Amino acid sequence: MKIINILAIAVGASVGATLRFKLNMLLLHISYPIGTLIENILGSFLLGFLTAWFSCKAPKEWVKLGLGVGLCGAFTTFSTLASDTVALALAYHFLVSVSYVFVSMFGGILSALVGYLFGVKLWKVYKREMSH
Amino acid sequence: MNSFYIMIGGSLGAILRYLLGLFMMKKYSNPPFPLAMLVVNILGSAGLGAFYGYYYNAMPPTTAYSDSLFLTIAIGFFGAFTTFSTFSVEAMMLLQRQSYKALSIYIGLSFIGSIGFFLLFFLGAQAISF
Repeated sequence: MKIINILAIAVGASVGATLRFKLNMLLLHISYPIGTLIENILGSFLLGFLTAWFSCKAPKEWVKLGLGVGLCGAFTTFSTLASDTVALALAYHFLVSVSYVFVSMFGGILSALVGYLFGVKLWKVYKREMSH
Repeated sequence: MNSFYIMIGGSLGAILRYLLGLFMMKKYSNPPFPLAMLVVNILGSAGLGAFYGYYYNAMPPTTAYSDSLFLTIAIGFFGAFTTFSTFSVEAMMLLQRQSYKALSIYIGLSFIGSIGFFLLFFLGAQAISF
């Protein structure tokens, strides 16, 4: 285990978690947990993109860990999703609670897929440009 | 100052997630579905439930966003320890491989496990905190 990998994860996570916190604060006045939903969908898109890009061109290990495990990992969250779902259900908004789960689930997986396909596409364009 | 708490909690959470992921992958090198992040997300959700139940005795109000312990533990540590982006990408890859059985088990266990264990530990901690 290299110290630079751990440091990269710490820096990435600091940025990711801070961005998540700021976005939550910005959207706190809305009773629906829209902040976490946006973060989870955006973060899934970014990680999907990075997964495609890095599979075409492998970066240094610390770059991959800092952006993937650190930034995307800490920007998105599952524990707040769980607590938001329970909070909605406890407030008797059962349908809203169930729909929140489904929007997160389908939104997350779909945006990861779109991010991945975008990454593959962009890589092809990038390679074509570089070969000219 | 608030960002400082988030950074400390978030860094610790993400590093612990990484180390636990490495450990899990070493121990179970070829699981039928992505096991490491499933365990991480369930553990982290249970931990957040226990924290809310014990410390707040209820779901925390939005005013908790000015509480340094809430920021460090809930938003920082458990927020960054658990992750959604890896879940999405792993699910997306199972989808691409057309491993529909593994995909449905992974999605089902992730959501039911995380929400169920959050609730279980929340109620349990709430009961003993009185």
